[in-house]
Amino acid sequence: MSTVSLAQFHQTFFDESHEGLDAMETALLALDGGGDKELVHGIFRAAHSIKGGAATFGFPDMAAFTHEAESLLDELRDGRRAVDAGIVEVLLRSVDCLRGMFARAQSGQPLADADSEALRHELAAMVGRTLAPAAAPARRSDDAATGWSIAFRPHRGMLAGGNDALRLLRELGELGELKAEAELDRLPGLAALDPSECHLGWRLELRGDVTRAAVQSVFDWVEDECDLTIEALPGAQVHHAPVVAEAAAAVPAPAAAAPKAAVREAAATESSVRVGIDKIDSLINLVGELVITQSMLDTFREDFDASRLEMLQQGLAQLARHTRTLQESVMGIRMLPIGSVFNRFPRMVRDLSQKLGKQVKLDLVGEQTELDKTVLEKIGDPLVHLVRNAIDHGLETPDRRRAAGKGDTGTLRLEASHRNGSIVVEISDDGAGLNREAIIAKALQRGLIASAEGLTDEAVADLIFQPGFSTAAVTTDLSGRGVGMDVVRRNVVDLGGSIQIRSVAGKGSVFTITLPLTLAIIDGLTALVGGEHYIVPLASIIETVQLRSEHLRTVTGGGELFHFRDGWLPVLRLQDAFACHGTRRPIEQGLVVVVEGDGSRLGLFVDELIGQQQAVVKSLEANYRRVSGISGATILADGSVALIVDVAGLSRQLSRRRAA
Amino acid sequence: MGKAKTDKADGRVALPADCRIADLAAVKAALEAALSAPAAELDGAAVERVDTAALQLLAVFRREAAARGMAVRWAGASDVLRDGAARLGLAQTLELPAAMPA
Repeated sequence: MSTVSLAQFHQTFFDESHEGLDAMETALLALDGGGDKELVHGIFRAAHSIKGGAATFGFPDMAAFTHEAESLLDELRDGRRAVDAGIVEVLLRSVDCLRGMFARAQSGQPLADADSEALRHELAAMVGRTLAPAAAPARRSDDAATGWSIAFRPHRGMLAGGNDALRLLRELGELGELKAEAELDRLPGLAALDPSECHLGWRLELRGDVTRAAVQSVFDWVEDECDLTIEALPGAQVHHAPVVAEAAAAVPAPAAAAPKAAVREAAATESSVRVGIDKIDSLINLVGELVITQSMLDTFREDFDASRLEMLQQGLAQLARHTRTLQESVMGIRMLPIGSVFNRFPRMVRDLSQKLGKQVKLDLVGEQTELDKTVLEKIGDPLVHLVRNAIDHGLETPDRRRAAGKGDTGTLRLEASHRNGSIVVEISDDGAGLNREAIIAKALQRGLIASAEGLTDEAVADLIFQPGFSTAAVTTDLSGRGVGMDVVRRNVVDLGGSIQIRSVAGKGSVFTITLPLTLAIIDGLTALVGGEHYIVPLASIIETVQLRSEHLRTVTGGGELFHFRDGWLPVLRLQDAFACHGTRRPIEQGLVVVVEGDGSRLGLFVDELIGQQQAVVKSLEANYRRVSGISGATILADGSVALIVDVAGLSRQLSRRRAA
Repeated sequence: MGKAKTDKADGRVALPADCRIADLAAVKAALEAALSAPAAELDGAAVERVDTAALQLLAVFRREAAARGMAVRWAGASDVLRDGAARLGLAQTLELPAAMPA
């Protein structure tokens, strides 16, 4: 008898269940703030679908677990039990636990672990049932040590890349008690062995009070050169099933049993986008239009005379229009609402504020704002960092807020919007604001600045983006893990964006991240410099001016400044910056493109401007190597290559040169 | 500081002081030659630096020798070599002597 393999449906089940879990979490958080019956129904439905799917697709452990959660939800639904903080807490932990199960299912590991079993018993106990202790997960209660089980399989080239596994294991050994078991099954024979290739793998057991992040950081450098899975050892971090009746009587959110950092393993190997059917339909529609236009243009091939010239022009204009719309629609497929990133924050803010004893109200605005999937994926971590910082350092505890004459509850606001062809994400809080004195003191101590004299507030705020900068009086486990604002800025700049801070002491801070809509295509102005074409991204251009020599001032050190609006801006001659050939034109014979990058403005001096065009960005890094001042390349209509100017990079270069 | 040497007659291989990825071609050649002897003797007493690639090479050799039913003896093993093998979980595979016999 032939059986249909259900494995092909697993990915769909995982995707849908992740959405279900997200929905459950959102609803639970809403419920926590006093929600209605409909929310409970929604949570129940989500849990029920997961249970059904798990049973159908052969994940009995998951089905058994969800069954207990569902029983509890059923009592809430019937009104047999009232919703309280304790129940929400347990259900949130169940969501985390299910996420962990899905992560394990995706990597083909056993689903149930000690944590999930303990939680399952806890859930059962809440509805007044006692389960037989499960045999499967070994719970060594005599062994209180926490620890990690690590499977580490280097790729062949890792050793040749200069990363010695021996050094990594030595580093791990410094964290705790390490047991290594080598996997020899992939070793070739002696004759076939290339000694520089790695064929060994290891199963490691690390015991000791070590965080996952610490373990992970050992492997930071080889992330892409090995297969790595890190799991809590069974017996580690066991929440023992509480004894029956007590648990039912609402324990208000035990701080000790804070939900384990959600195990969101990035197990997804294949990335995919779910596209709305309306987007697909509009694409098909557009392609249809294109075909019609093309067949119309085709008729000119057979008989063409000057009388039909106007029609031809119309046809070509139509073709251009359709191509552009089609391009926009295709790009649109990659556009996803930022809500999928924002979604993680309600939970995070709730957990963090509880942990820190602060009261925080989270406002999310503009969740429907769409941006490129790649940008979306990479902006998550910087945002998490900023939100963490805002709660940890920005917002004050209720008593300090009262002392400052503010309400007990602080407000944290995340707002996304489209502005001038970019995405702007603002993270604002009404907390204490940046502490100018503390920042200056720290910067002096770190030798980042020589003196604080004459530093504007912006310049002081900018200091927190310097590597290794952290002013938190106490290094908490939230912030201050060595990854600072410099990484946030670098991530944003890598995406072609910029970040700014506005802060008023006692009133709060606003972090503004500006991101390009997409990384694949930019609108640019083509400029001629020394006979070569360069493209200046339109988004960074403020104005183009023609200067007369009397507008120009030469300052000591050879720099040139020009008067723009009500200030002076530096002029950067692209010809010098990129060492182009050709004669150096006097300033009257060229144009100055005023641009803004990385928060400061400057004028780029070019020979002439040719016109505006869309440039499909080709990575210079991938095809050649990174060149400073250049963000990429594109191919012009005549087949020649034009380089795209990295305005932020040039602006940084210039300010470094001036500082030096 | 000498390079890995082998003597066909008795299958002796002396490992060099710097036993790391860059210098393993000679070691590999010596080990391959030693496989044709009736028994092999490894001398790791002089090893001052060792890495994963070197220990992997030795493990492959031990397994191949074992598969051929060939006896392999350690004439000596430095602390560095023993420590490296233990950390990589290869001490058993390599059958390194627990303490160094003079």
